[in-house]
Amino acid sequence: MFWKTFTKGLWRENPVLKLVLGMCPVLAVTTSLENALGMGMASTFVLVCSNTVISTIRNIIPEKVRIPCFIVVIATFVTIVDLVMAAFVPDLHDALGIFIPLIVVNCIILGRAEAFASRHPTMLSIVDGLGMGAGFTLALAALGASREIIGSGTLTLWNELTLLQIPTESPVILLILAPGGFIMLGLLLAGMNHFSAWQARRAGKAIPLPATMDCRTCTLCKWGS
Amino acid sequence: MKDSLKLIGSLTAICIVSGALLAFVYDATAARIEAVAQMRIAAAAAQVLPAHDRIDDAIELEHNNRRYFFSPAYRNEKDLVGYAIQFSTSAGYGGEIRMMLGLDIDGMTTGLVILPGHTETPGLGAKITEESFLEAFRDRPITDTNWRVKKDGGDMDEITAATISSRAVADAVMQVAEAFEAHRSTLREGI
Repeated sequence: MFWKTFTKGLWRENPVLKLVLGMCPVLAVTTSLENALGMGMASTFVLVCSNTVISTIRNIIPEKVRIPCFIVVIATFVTIVDLVMAAFVPDLHDALGIFIPLIVVNCIILGRAEAFASRHPTMLSIVDGLGMGAGFTLALAALGASREIIGSGTLTLWNELTLLQIPTESPVILLILAPGGFIMLGLLLAGMNHFSAWQARRAGKAIPLPATMDCRTCTLCKWGS
Repeated sequence: MKDSLKLIGSLTAICIVSGALLAFVYDATAARIEAVAQMRIAAAAAQVLPAHDRIDDAIELEHNNRRYFFSPAYRNEKDLVGYAIQFSTSAGYGGEIRMMLGLDIDGMTTGLVILPGHTETPGLGAKITEESFLEAFRDRPITDTNWRVKKDGGDMDEITAATISSRAVADAVMQVAEAFEAHRSTLREGI
């Protein structure tokens, strides 16, 4: 039960790659692996804390004012993260800028509060927060790492630990600009869809087709055959 | 009536608890956030000013509705070596660009740095942080230099394909020179 709740955030209901939620920070801060990880961890912290508190007090929050209550709880934890990051990791805080306060309006967090934490016991909600947070962080890290490698030709952490250095004079700058975020996210989502189709075919199941596509634009059924 | 009291009561209770929690966290981090800001000014000043061992709180000046922060730096605890001037511009291609210019007591510039946190385009406008662009701003008399970029008839080389960012920095330095000229008498001794 706990394990299933955790893993659904990683893959089956991954907030970025399957539910396509929270696109604003996803596109804006994934210009480097470090920013992506920082944003992922900050969001995970807020998600776990808000899930914990909201599921604990879910029975005393009146139905009619639940959304304002959720938002106050979430905003409190976001402000705590903002202050703590400004004090202890100021460079990362600067790089993420306005997107830290904007975690308040990240629909993944309010979404989990409404859809999960307000209906499930505390322990399970913590696990849900951890799973969703980990899934969010992983998706951000994948985007951040690929954009940094192609767009800057490097992969570094904390400004000094160089994990990878591509010997090139002119990296594809487009990838760390805004359009590059859309392009990389599109490629990642297409890859995910094709992988799911391939998996479904191998298991002999029907392929879940994207709702808004028809056979003129979609080649999913041919994949893996 | 009883129902709405319950609504008001529960939301108020949550707000009070969260307010108290935030007051506590703010209290615990305020000193450190302040210290980080001080450290950053000191680190930037070390880059743009000649050797010094003390920096005082900035003197705030206003000129043409822009604010400038002149921090006096001393050697041997009392000999003024110059000013580290903090200023910013929003004329860049992204958002605000914050800078620090060093100025010695003879009115010569001793260096310019772009402070972290700018959002100029990576690979193009972001080249304003590179030494090849910034070195032209060093060792020039602040009042007798035409700080504009060459495209605008000045002395500063602009960066190819990043004219807007280069111009923003050059024009901002030009305005520092004007502010300095206008407030020369308020700044202490020497200069």
